[in-house]
Amino acid sequence: MSTLFDLLVAGLATGAIYALVAVGFTLLWQTSQTINFAQGEFVMLPAFLMLAAMHVGAPFWLAIIIGILLSMILLGLAFKMLLVDPMLRHGVLPLAIATMALAIGIKEAVKQFFSAEASPFPSIVPTGDIRILGHAVALQSVGVLVVAILAVVGLTMLLTRTSLGHQMQAAAQNPTVARIIGVPVERMILLTFLINAFLVALASMLITPIYLAKFSSGEVLGQAAFIAAIVGGFNQVRGAIAGGLLIGVLDNLAAAYVSTQYRAAVPMIFLIVVILFRPQGLLGRAEERTV
Amino acid sequence: MSDSILSVSNLVGGYGKMTILNGTTFSVPKATITTIIGPNGAGKSTVFKAIFGLLKLREGKITFADRDVTNLSQRALLNAGICYVPQGRNIFAELSVRHNIELGGVAAEKGIDLPKRIEAALDLFPALRRKSTQQASTLSGGEQKQLEIARSLLLDPQLVLIDEPSIGLSPLMVQQTFNILRDLRDRGVTILMIEQNARSALEISDFGIVLELGQTRMVDKAERILNDPRIGQLFLGGAMEETAA
Repeated sequence: MSTLFDLLVAGLATGAIYALVAVGFTLLWQTSQTINFAQGEFVMLPAFLMLAAMHVGAPFWLAIIIGILLSMILLGLAFKMLLVDPMLRHGVLPLAIATMALAIGIKEAVKQFFSAEASPFPSIVPTGDIRILGHAVALQSVGVLVVAILAVVGLTMLLTRTSLGHQMQAAAQNPTVARIIGVPVERMILLTFLINAFLVALASMLITPIYLAKFSSGEVLGQAAFIAAIVGGFNQVRGAIAGGLLIGVLDNLAAAYVSTQYRAAVPMIFLIVVILFRPQGLLGRAEERTV
Repeated sequence: MSDSILSVSNLVGGYGKMTILNGTTFSVPKATITTIIGPNGAGKSTVFKAIFGLLKLREGKITFADRDVTNLSQRALLNAGICYVPQGRNIFAELSVRHNIELGGVAAEKGIDLPKRIEAALDLFPALRRKSTQQASTLSGGEQKQLEIARSLLLDPQLVLIDEPSIGLSPLMVQQTFNILRDLRDRGVTILMIEQNARSALEISDFGIVLELGQTRMVDKAERILNDPRIGQLFLGGAMEETAA
C-alpha cells in the first residue's frame, strides 16, 4: 500500500501532465473560441509519431524532436487552417462538433495504421527511485514534474513578461481593439495553436511511458484535461494549471482510498459540484464576452 | 478648406446589403478639432471604420496627407500617422496600465524610441502614471478613456479619430478629456471626433460636419453650426430638408 506522500507525488505528476493539456485547451478557447474535443487524441497521437520515427531508425531523442515538430505541423498549423478556420465561420458549436469528428478520425486512423494493441514507450527518465524527505519517490514522477513545471513556467513567462505574450493576451481579450492598435491578431492566434501542439506533444512524451501508447488513451486524457480546464476556470491559464494538478491528485487519491473502479467518477462528481457552486471555475472570472 | 490633412470623397459602403455611406464627402483641416454630428444611423461611426480600413468600401477614395490610403491595413494606417479610438471601453482589462500603453507601440517601425514615448505618454496623464502597475480593469471610466488616448499617442499620430469619447463619463471627466484633445490640437495633431454630446463637443471644436443618411449635409465653422436653428431640429428627429433622400 502506497503512503499518502507517494500518492500525492504521483498525483501531482499526472496532474502536471493534465495541466499542460488543459492549458493548451484554454489557450485555444481564449484566442479562437475553439473547444477542442480532440484534445485527448492530440495527446495520444504524438507518441505514435515518435514511435514511427523510431521505427524507421531514429534514435529516441531525435524521434522526440521529430514528433514535436510533426505535431506542430499537423495538430497546430493544419488543424487551424483546414478545420478551425473554415468551421469557425459557421459558429462555435459546428466547430466543436467538427473536433469531435476529428477525435474519432484520429483514433480510428491510429488503430488502422499502427495497431489496436498497446505499445510500450520509452521514458526520458531512467527507472528507479530517489529519496525525498525520507520517502522513496519514483524518478519517473519527479522527471515528469520537472519537465511539466518548466514548460508551464516558460509559458507563463512568455505570456506575462514579453511583448509577444502581451500581444497574444490582447488578441485573446479583445481582438477588434488589438487589430486597431496594430497587433497581428491572425499571427497571434496561429501562435497559440502551435503552442498547444507543442504542449500536447510534450504531454504525450511524458504520459505515454506510464499509460502505454494506445489508440484509445486519448479518451481518458481528453476528459481529464476538459474537467481540469472547467474546474480551474475555462478562461484562465493559471486556472487550468490548478485544475490539472487538482484532478491529478484527486484521481490518484480516489484510486487508493475509494476504489479503482470509481476512480474516474470522482473527478466527474467534483466537476458537477464546481459547476453547481462556482460555474466560472475555481480561479475563473465570469465570462464577459458575448458570443 | 485649403490646408486639409484628410479628405474623403464619395464614400459608398455599408454592412451586407445595407448601404450606410451614400456618397459621404468632406475634408478635415490640419491641426483642428473637427466634430462630426448627426442623428443615429447617419453613418458617423461607419465613416471612421471606412477611414480606418475596417469596412470594405464599394466606392470612394480616402486621402491622407496627399496620399491615397483607401483600404490600407490597420498597421499601414497607424504607420501613416492615423490612429483610431473607438466607442466604448477598449482596454485590455487584465493587463497592467503600463502594458496596455506599451501595446500602442506594437506597430512601430524600427528606430523609434518607444520607452521614451511611453514615459512621455505617462507624463501627459499623471493618473495613469500613479496606477501604471495596476490592472487596467481597476481604472475608472474616465481613466480608461485616458489610457486609450495615451496608448494611441505612442505612434505619434498626426490624425486621431475618436468616437464618442464622452460616453459614460461624468461631466468633469468629459471636460478633462476635451481639454486633452485641445492640448493635442495645440501641438499640431488633428482631431476628428464623433460626439452625441453635440453642444459641448462643438464648443471646443474648430469645425463641424453634419452627417445625415450617410451624406454630408453641412460643413462649417463650429460656432456657426452651433447657432444654426436647423441643427436643433435635426436632433429632435426632423430632417434638414423635407425632401431628404
